[in-house]
Amino acid sequence: MPSFPKSIATRLALGFSVLVAEAILVASGVFYFGTIGVMDRRIDAKITAISNRLTETYGNRPIEDLAAQIERELNDGIDSDTEIFLVVSPSGERVVGNLTAVPAATRPLGQVVTDDVVREGKRTSGRLIVRQLPEGAFLYVGRDLSEQRSISDLVVKALVGGACAALVVLVIGALMFRHQIEKRIAEIRRTAQRIEDGDLNQRIPVSGDDEFGRLSVDINRMLDRIGHLMEGVRHVSNAIAHDLRTPLSRIRSRLDEAVRHHAKPGPMGEAASAAIEGIDELILVFEKLLQIAEAESGMRAKSFESVDLNAIAKDMVELYDATAEQRQVSLRPAGSGTVLAAVDRNLVASAVASLIDNAIKYAGPGATIEVGAFAQPQGAEIVVRDNGPGIPAAERPRVTERFYRLDHSRNLPGNGLGLSIVSAIATLHGGALKLEDASPGLLARIVLPAGQPQEVMADPV
Amino acid sequence: MQSLVNLVLPFPRERFTRSPGEGGDLRCLVIEDDADTRRYICNGLTEAGYNTLACDNGLDGLHHATNESWDIVILDRLLPGQVDGLAILGKLRDLGKNTPVLIVSALTSIDERVRGLRHGGDDYIPKPFAFSELLARVEALLRRARPGHQTTQLKVADLALDVRTFRVVRGSTPIALQPREFRLLEFLMRNEGQVVTRTMLLEAVWDCRFDPQTNVIDVQISRLRNKIDKDFSPPLIHTVRGVGYRLSASA
Repeated sequence: MPSFPKSIATRLALGFSVLVAEAILVASGVFYFGTIGVMDRRIDAKITAISNRLTETYGNRPIEDLAAQIERELNDGIDSDTEIFLVVSPSGERVVGNLTAVPAATRPLGQVVTDDVVREGKRTSGRLIVRQLPEGAFLYVGRDLSEQRSISDLVVKALVGGACAALVVLVIGALMFRHQIEKRIAEIRRTAQRIEDGDLNQRIPVSGDDEFGRLSVDINRMLDRIGHLMEGVRHVSNAIAHDLRTPLSRIRSRLDEAVRHHAKPGPMGEAASAAIEGIDELILVFEKLLQIAEAESGMRAKSFESVDLNAIAKDMVELYDATAEQRQVSLRPAGSGTVLAAVDRNLVASAVASLIDNAIKYAGPGATIEVGAFAQPQGAEIVVRDNGPGIPAAERPRVTERFYRLDHSRNLPGNGLGLSIVSAIATLHGGALKLEDASPGLLARIVLPAGQPQEVMADPV
Repeated sequence: MQSLVNLVLPFPRERFTRSPGEGGDLRCLVIEDDADTRRYICNGLTEAGYNTLACDNGLDGLHHATNESWDIVILDRLLPGQVDGLAILGKLRDLGKNTPVLIVSALTSIDERVRGLRHGGDDYIPKPFAFSELLARVEALLRRARPGHQTTQLKVADLALDVRTFRVVRGSTPIALQPREFRLLEFLMRNEGQVVTRTMLLEAVWDCRFDPQTNVIDVQISRLRNKIDKDFSPPLIHTVRGVGYRLSASA
């Protein structure tokens, strides 16, 4: 089965073309039969009428009378260019008429047929009716069709020419039709793409009050509504961020002051210090959640600059080297050369730090962790690879969920947000966090796309 | 509206356990609209010996910042009304005043920090903050503003560090440090006697504007201690509990 084009525009244009072509065909047929067909039927009626008249008038009279009548018919100057008459005796001899040769006599009698004849020495095609007279002689009455044929040829030529011209117009029209539809749809798709990339301020340009114009207006109205809701959510998040942070700050500063003013060692001081730490953790979790939400919604103001990813990898290795030493883990940079990418340096650094932190925490003493950046055909990637126990394949998709923790890691410090944030940071850069089996161990790749990501500056609130 | 906070002090004027530093005659302008935060900052600074003036709106803040001379300005990024923190900062710099400005803000994103520094801020501290963090940063800014802070030969007790030759010597023993450890020690020595917080170290030595949430800095310090303090006396690197670290000859 031939594959049908997927584009609705192509399908519409194609279907429309077929319909119009059919219409042209039908119109041509009607025209043809309305002209040539009518002319053919008239000829048939006329020669039938003449043959009837001659048969009735001269059927019972001597054949010489019929011959004389035919001589008169042939010489009366009416239709003399086209008329055909022939009388053949029962024995098959030509008696009178303008056909030079006698056609084979095995034709059906009393029916109009088309046959090749030789009229006055010229081969031609004609309509003929043959009748047998009571005496046994045969009467041929007919019409030369050559003139008829040339008219019919002209008509057919004109019709075919017209149809070809119409088809050309039709193909061009269909292409333009398809182009027009695709252009209008492309506008909508372009806008949708930009919105998907995080710029909710994009609207479809509305041109005209046609179906597409109205659809665009509807979509734009919907986008306004979504934008309004998003703004609302953003406002609420910001309000929560601010409103929760303010009282938390107050509690924290009161406690801090109290501790500073009455810094006597004892359970109260310990409790206050612990409370301050707790509040700090709370604020941090809260901010991380907001950070993930911001990154996921694409609403975060992006300030990307071209940065060497290997420099980031090296910085983070040098930040964690003492910790790795302490945990008897070998931590080393693995990338080489400069791998440039347009990123937010601090976000990517914090993501790498998070991955290294995880690797040190979960790979265990004696493990080796390698951190490096590599250029890829589609961009660049930063890789953190350890040879620890890794993450079971079934768990891998879930570990980037917020607050999700592997069972055996519940006793370790952490809040289950680390990988969610790494994933959110990768998403914010138009990339992805890929967790794979390093057999043994975990291979975490932050894949970043090539090219300068679109600069989106959201208003700070 | 303004209030000289050291005249109306709701808290007992007990002496701050930490040494008051060089406060005293240093003048500090605090522009902050949130009453609690303002009081928190001003009380602390006053206790640390600073002469503090507080403004609760941008207009007053702008007036005082531009018409008087200050050793340091602590500025809230978000202020109600038409004059916000960045506007004050811009105006101050336009007038050619290079008073150190510490921006305090509830806007924690890194971009906000970059924006603040680009407008002429000298440092940025997100809310909420520990007062010790703020004080450490204020003191670091004041120290930076004093001339002669860019010497290349640093010396604390018998520990000497030469920035140009990349050499560290304790007494007569040369000490081999990795590049990052060298920068860490250099930063501690440049802020001799001052408390530096973990965040300040992260920013200055590793160029990190985020909280790694683990004790990476403590482990780094402990490794540095092993190299410069372990076999020597007296110890130079001191832990300031709940705040950070201080490098000095005296405990």
